[in-house]
Amino acid sequence: MIYAILGLIVGVVGGILAPGFVPKIYAPYFSVALMAGLDTAFGGLRAAMEGDYDNVVFLSGFFINIAISVFFCYAGIMMDIDFYLIVILVLGMRIFNNVAIIRRLYLKK
Amino acid sequence: MNVKNMHTRLLIFLVCIILGFMISMQLKSHNQHQTIAAQRAEELTVRLKEVQADRDKLAKELDEYRAGRISGAAQKEMDELKARAGETEMEGKGIIFTLDDSKQVAKAGENKNLYIIHDEDLLRVVNELRSAGAEAISLNGQRLIGSSEIRCVGPTVLVNERRLAAPFVISAIGNPQTLESSLKLRGGVIENFKFWGIKADVMQSDKVRVPAYKGNRTFEFAKMVSEEEKKKAEEQPAENNKDKNNKESGNKDSSNKDSNNAKDTKETAGNPKASENKAAADTGKQQPESQQNNAGGGAK
Repeated sequence: MIYAILGLIVGVVGGILAPGFVPKIYAPYFSVALMAGLDTAFGGLRAAMEGDYDNVVFLSGFFINIAISVFFCYAGIMMDIDFYLIVILVLGMRIFNNVAIIRRLYLKK
Repeated sequence: MNVKNMHTRLLIFLVCIILGFMISMQLKSHNQHQTIAAQRAEELTVRLKEVQADRDKLAKELDEYRAGRISGAAQKEMDELKARAGETEMEGKGIIFTLDDSKQVAKAGENKNLYIIHDEDLLRVVNELRSAGAEAISLNGQRLIGSSEIRCVGPTVLVNERRLAAPFVISAIGNPQTLESSLKLRGGVIENFKFWGIKADVMQSDKVRVPAYKGNRTFEFAKMVSEEEKKKAEEQPAENNKDKNNKESGNKDSSNKDSNNAKDTKETAGNPKASENKAAADTGKQQPESQQNNAGGGAK
């Protein structure tokens, strides 16, 4: 847990200090990727609290979820369908789900 | 939390770094996108100001050069011609005439166009003022010169290639009494407007300011006729006449404009089907007018 928070802080500081920013064309991809990353992070946290955390599952989930969501977003833009909305919707629901379970687990303790 | 070994912890640490990086990057980019539009507008404003300052400076320089070259009588003549061409700001006694669209609600089945100000109404006012001896006229800050147009474009009126909207303020320099009475003639412009509820306000003033013409003035097709060509043309009497006409109309810019305006209104009055809407508005405005006049006469 401490490592995760430390990592987050280092990442945020690094992002603020890093030069440049995401061009506007890539903004939807990036936001979707961020959603996927958050979703996996909460999923990992939940798994850790439930006690069946698996490092491989977590890592593969993190990167593959990001890749798939970005691909969905790209495909949607290619086909003129707002796919990224669906991705964000699903990921958002999952985040809420995970947070709800984490909350319950925490309260049960 | 059953995080077992160093290896796992390191990986979680790395993943969280990536996540944090993405979060801050996203926030930063979002702010950046928002400010870019504002920055662009700011940049353009600054640039516009620079260009305007540049233009003013160059115009001043040009004036200086001209002043250096020309002297005495020629300078005087040039100043006068400039004033006549609308290149200078003018001030003097005159009237300020304000026109605003009617607030009356159109009756069912009636054309709403009758209640708003059209180019023809403005042309009639300007024409009336010119015939009453107005020396300089501006419409919403646009100086009217020989080539100024007054024309409806959608809901706005195009003057000097600029769109103007109601309320219209017409400033005219001339004898205030004459100008006012020319507008207030029985059956004249104002009476006509009043019938439709169009707000028309005449205000006499000792200090009317009419701005200079600021538009572009270049000849694309017309060429000046040199002295030699004129002599050549004199040998052919028909051509001679034309040239003279051209010359005269060139000199009396404003009178030329007047006759043009008069022609315009006549034309539309002559074939009402040409622009049915406007013509309808025109005749519609005039018919009840005459009725009213008749009624007034009968009562007396």
